[in-house]
Amino acid sequence: MEMEGYINKNIKDIISQYPEIGSILNEYDIACVSCNVGTCLLKDVVEVHNLTYEAEHELMKRMAKVIFPGNEVKIPKVKRKIGPAAGQIKYSPPVRKLVDEHAFIKKLLAAIPHILESLNVAKVEDRQLIIDSVDFIRSYADKYHHAKEEEILFKKFGEGIEIIKAMLDEHDIGRGHVKAVLEAVEAGDNQAIKERLTAYCELLKDHIKKEDEILYPWMDKNLTVFQVGELFNQFNEVDKGFEAASRKYEGFAKALEERFNRASQKIFCP
Amino acid sequence: MLEGCPGSKTMDLREKEGQEDTASVKVISQLRQWPIQMHLISPMAPYFQGADVVLVADCVAYAHGNFHNDYLKGKAIGIACPKLDSEQEIYIEKIKGWIEDAKINTLTVLIMQVPCCSGLVKLAQEAAQSANRKVPIKYIVLSLQGEILQEEWL
Repeated sequence: MEMEGYINKNIKDIISQYPEIGSILNEYDIACVSCNVGTCLLKDVVEVHNLTYEAEHELMKRMAKVIFPGNEVKIPKVKRKIGPAAGQIKYSPPVRKLVDEHAFIKKLLAAIPHILESLNVAKVEDRQLIIDSVDFIRSYADKYHHAKEEEILFKKFGEGIEIIKAMLDEHDIGRGHVKAVLEAVEAGDNQAIKERLTAYCELLKDHIKKEDEILYPWMDKNLTVFQVGELFNQFNEVDKGFEAASRKYEGFAKALEERFNRASQKIFCP
Repeated sequence: MLEGCPGSKTMDLREKEGQEDTASVKVISQLRQWPIQMHLISPMAPYFQGADVVLVADCVAYAHGNFHNDYLKGKAIGIACPKLDSEQEIYIEKIKGWIEDAKINTLTVLIMQVPCCSGLVKLAQEAAQSANRKVPIKYIVLSLQGEILQEEWL
């Protein structure tokens, strides 16, 4: 009995045939069950999650037990491109820049529950904070960061790739939430602002995690040295044009973090 | 048998004999330039302009059997020995020249696993830190038998 035949099978097909495998993958933080893409092959799933060899062997053994119950199964080793030690993520310089930008976006996402806690959009200060947050999302997260992904990075792989299509869809869903937030601000609808901004927050948290932990490491493994240099130069060009603005928005995110960290300390510290 | 420095410790690798690929295939050289030694190269030579450059420790090409196809193809090269070469400050200036003047696309430093070889990565880092322009720098560490032990962007 060999697992070799399953290595090149679509993971969604394997899970639909053997649902228990979805639960096993979940235990390794591999969320194929909830992923709406579903075109990855089993070998890709194992490779992109960069498990240690021991963890990979254990995972394959457990899956083999489900597929071939009661049989001794030969476990294949999934071929990997040489990169950082398993379990570590080391990005190329241009991709690291995108991860650094995520850190600022995550500061805003962390502030959103605090912003919404006692929101009253009729108050000038609250209204302005929502408008400034939306400005950050539209200018920094979308026009600057997502545009670098959409116009430059993703084009190196082709937008037909399913995981990239899924990321693009999530960008669009995010834009929809943000548009709705602005409409709700105009309508003075606190509830709609809360719902849409919370939905945006949940979407982006998950989106960033997928990019940082799965998509970017996979892309880094597949970019040629020439492409990394090209990407670095292309990103630098975009950064030059956005230098003052990025300082402003990164300052805004830092200020939010400090403000709400202080507020949390006031609430929770003696 | 010499002991002490791992860089000069005597190692007998003949046990690999018999494992070799016996097919006789003529490997075409991927070298696109001359000279290649770091004291002899000019960082402004046309083949460095906008190139992906490999800065290679002298021993690497002997250890890695498929060096030409795996690392040299389509690249410009400079070779050096961080243990034995003298006046290495000149190398720092030349690497800086690659980055600032030749506007190279990337720099990949290939070294052996022996500790003294890491000096070549340090030279590249020092040059990059003093340069006004930035480029992605990768380093690759090879075992004495030519296997890739580590490959990372700095």
